[in-house]
Amino acid sequence: MIKNFKNNCSKKFLEKGYPSRQDENWKFTSSRKLAKFENEVNFDLKADNIENDDNTLLFINGVLDENSLDKFNYKDKLKVINIEELKNDVIFKFSDNFLNESLFNLGIMHYKKGYYFKFDKNVFINEPVRIVNYNNASQDQSRIVSFKIFHVQSGSEISFIEKDINDGKSSFNLKLNKFLCDENSVLKCGKFFEGKENNHLLSYNYFTLKNNSILNIDGLNKESVFNKEFIEIDLEDKGSEVKINILNLGKSNNHLDNNILINHNAESCTSFQHVRNILDNESSAVFNGKVIVSEGAQKTDSNQSNKNLLLSETSNAYSNPQLEIYADDVSCGHGSTTGALNEESIFYLRARGINKSEAEKILIKAFAKEVVDEFSLSSIQDISEIALDNWINEQN
Amino acid sequence: MIKIKDLMASIEDKQILNGINLNINPGEVHVIMGRNGSGKSTLANVIAGNEAYEVEKGSILMNNENITEMSIENRALNGIFLCFQYPVAIPGVSMAYFLRSALNAHLEHQGKEEIDALEFLKNSKKILNELGLDDSFLKRAINDGFSGGEKKKSEILQLLSINPKLAVLDETDSGLDVDALRTVAKGVNKFKNKNNAVLIITHYQRLLNYIKPDIVHLMIDGKIVKTGDMSLVEKVENDGYSWLEK
Repeated sequence: MIKNFKNNCSKKFLEKGYPSRQDENWKFTSSRKLAKFENEVNFDLKADNIENDDNTLLFINGVLDENSLDKFNYKDKLKVINIEELKNDVIFKFSDNFLNESLFNLGIMHYKKGYYFKFDKNVFINEPVRIVNYNNASQDQSRIVSFKIFHVQSGSEISFIEKDINDGKSSFNLKLNKFLCDENSVLKCGKFFEGKENNHLLSYNYFTLKNNSILNIDGLNKESVFNKEFIEIDLEDKGSEVKINILNLGKSNNHLDNNILINHNAESCTSFQHVRNILDNESSAVFNGKVIVSEGAQKTDSNQSNKNLLLSETSNAYSNPQLEIYADDVSCGHGSTTGALNEESIFYLRARGINKSEAEKILIKAFAKEVVDEFSLSSIQDISEIALDNWINEQN
Repeated sequence: MIKIKDLMASIEDKQILNGINLNINPGEVHVIMGRNGSGKSTLANVIAGNEAYEVEKGSILMNNENITEMSIENRALNGIFLCFQYPVAIPGVSMAYFLRSALNAHLEHQGKEEIDALEFLKNSKKILNELGLDDSFLKRAINDGFSGGEKKKSEILQLLSINPKLAVLDETDSGLDVDALRTVAKGVNKFKNKNNAVLIITHYQRLLNYIKPDIVHLMIDGKIVKTGDMSLVEKVENDGYSWLEK
């Protein structure tokens, strides 16, 4: 029962408190600032000013806006259940890693309302469903917790584009998400986060994949003063595929952190993770990527890549790609590079009459495009291209 | 067109050029030959303005304007074009985008309007065809995954599109098979006319079988030690460079 789960999580958080630098997952990201965000937010707000079409599920301070559900195009193909009413513990079962994460426990302890979105079998939704998180804290140092579980049943193909709109005072947005992908399903998750000076974002995303299911995660994170994202994926049955492409753009004192764990628990699954960071000024990024190939997961094909482009001498990238392999018939690779713009490339472009500033912009865009071009959702690609151009043109 | 006077240059405190004097007039094809490490490529890079090199002394005049301190891009806009020995690969930037950006930079410098996309494509396809390259070449990323021959043809495509005043060919013949060499030479011959000039840097005679030079210079230890006609090339082919040191 969710009540027991909540109690256990509360107990764990109260025992452990906020994570310290001694915690492996928090070695390069301080949670100290987050501890100050303890104020509750208002849950009965309206968000009339938010574009809310019939393909949007709108959440206001973590709570689902019933109007958006009423006019949701696909509501006939979907059941929305309050998590408190769930009888089946498997639905809200999270990984041990998340359960050992103090701030995941904090989220379970404090979420106001949790939702289980169960899409019917063999549903094909062509246009991506927009998940809009509208956050409007009325007082500074507020904590906004959301808890959502999405279930893509067998034979279904669904795309989500998740976007945060932060309109209020300073807040710590803590998001807990779980995605269950049944056999022969396709899930495409696009995430576009454009932060604000006063918003801190921490998200825990847990995916479970059954036979022959496909998962794509496209992400663009831009200008977040604090953005730490945990992604854990369990490939539970054979023949599943995962592709993760994430681009982070950091400037001023932005801090962007991707913590990705892929568990290959079954044979003949493939996973590909590609995270690129472009960092200017005093911004910093962390990549903690891990692939675990368990004993029976033969014929695993996995690749992990992290590339960091540093545009200033004061920007920092911490990269930690890891592989743990317990099977003997697998193909796994990983790599990481960190560096500045290539002087030879700048010379080459300038030698054709392109000025230095333009040459640098071309090279930054080229670095970013290699991820953006791999996004599975064209709409996320389009938004990202515009956001990328704006970001590059804003740079000195 | 270009006058180089007593040019001395170094890289990372290592002196490479030790007083180069060179005068190239419109309509001329010059060749510089020399051993590995004699400073030929350094000269090409210094003419193009590569900031990795420090000019210690001397000057470079382009059409009577002193360009010694001029930025790389302004040299290019004033008519200098370096055909790179090792063109760098730039994944993520298409040849079309790059070439059009370069052309537009030149047009803007000349006070002209940007090139229309259709006209750009038409002109580029014509040159591609002459170089035996497929139209899809424009969609590929700059030099990314190109064969040795494709890289050099890409340089010639850029040369013919930009149509500069002075083309400096830094060992453009290296790594080319006979067919590719002929294609590259054909491109250079198409480029040259009485109003522009070509400076070829090479080790071998083979490119010069297709592009006839007017003046040949031999370089040793960062200095031009002998200037003459095509007979110098034959002498080098037969006797090497040691006779110059006697």
